[in-house]
Amino acid sequence: MEAPPVTVMPVTGGTINMMEYLLQGSVLDQALESLLHRLRGLCDNMEPETFTDHELVYLLKGQQGNPFILRARRSLSHPTSPWHLRYLGQPEVGDKSRHSLVRNCVDVAASHSLPEFLNEMGFRMDHEFVANGHIFRKGAMKIVVTKLSRILVPGNTENTERLSLSYLGGAECVGSCRPGHCVGGHAQLC
Amino acid sequence: VCQVPVAEGKSVQQTVDILHKKLEQLGAVKQGSFCVDCETYHATGSVTGQPNKLLYVMHNSETPLSCLALFEGGPCLVADANFDVLMVKLKSHFQNAKGHKVECRGSRYRYCDFLIKVGTVTMSSSARGISVEVEYCPCVVPGDCWNLTKEFMQSFLGPSVPELPSVFAAKPEGLFAPADCVDTMT
Repeated sequence: MEAPPVTVMPVTGGTINMMEYLLQGSVLDQALESLLHRLRGLCDNMEPETFTDHELVYLLKGQQGNPFILRARRSLSHPTSPWHLRYLGQPEVGDKSRHSLVRNCVDVAASHSLPEFLNEMGFRMDHEFVANGHIFRKGAMKIVVTKLSRILVPGNTENTERLSLSYLGGAECVGSCRPGHCVGGHAQLC
Repeated sequence: VCQVPVAEGKSVQQTVDILHKKLEQLGAVKQGSFCVDCETYHATGSVTGQPNKLLYVMHNSETPLSCLALFEGGPCLVADANFDVLMVKLKSHFQNAKGHKVECRGSRYRYCDFLIKVGTVTMSSSARGISVEVEYCPCVVPGDCWNLTKEFMQSFLGPSVPELPSVFAAKPEGLFAPADCVDTMT
């Protein structure tokens, strides 16, 4: 059993400034098959994957300013996988010719005690929903086609109702620099 | 994990050296070093009007990609290293009590199936004490190997051996989890 390296990683540099580049749109249910067919052609050659996730949005109300929002997501199709906690900052305002939404993001994988832990921190759940759909990949980009469903009884993910008659499509890229690369990729998919 | 009293008339470093020598005489082999640190955060706003609990965020060099967050007497979260970045984002809600950062650094020894870590505990660069962590690697049920671990510890620590930590006493048949290790450290 080798000793793991003892290094002290400073909390500065790359990870604190990860940005999410996001482009979203929607298609009516009838157009789903045609969209999936197109994405299979445009994206990386891999087995199509489906997902069913349960997302809870937590708010922490401070003494002033806007509440702090955290999104906790777990997979219903892989219940033993860790929870995924995500912080998304305010969208960057700047280049009006850029269609993508750019915002600071912090992704943390966490154990199953996450909801209880967030409550202890003072966060309160604002709303929850179930998202299911298909996921594709193109290089560093993640492309998802999602159907969102409302949870009728809090905490019961079996009893859901579809929110709309359309699917939400999104292309997302997370990185610390090279925005041109992400935007170019998004443009290609449009 | 237990606290070892400093030998009479000796400094912290000298006591640590004595322990190292005893382990080497037993036949343990030094295998690098280790570091465990613990930072304390406290909530800035009052949530319910009651005094806020402290949040401890710990890092262990045995699990370099993980971060353990624990509330005093409350839930424990195992997260990846990005949790530190999130705490920076939350700085207006949770303040880092920088003066209270505790570190335990020292050498790691391997003796057959045992892993022994002898560390100097420091807070704000001043040595506060010595901690010894002993792990019996093949077993994940603390209740089953406690007697063996205790006997081994007595062979080099003498009488200053603790009783079974309360977190394990509560679930003698349960499986050991990193959260339990963190609990005993705090």
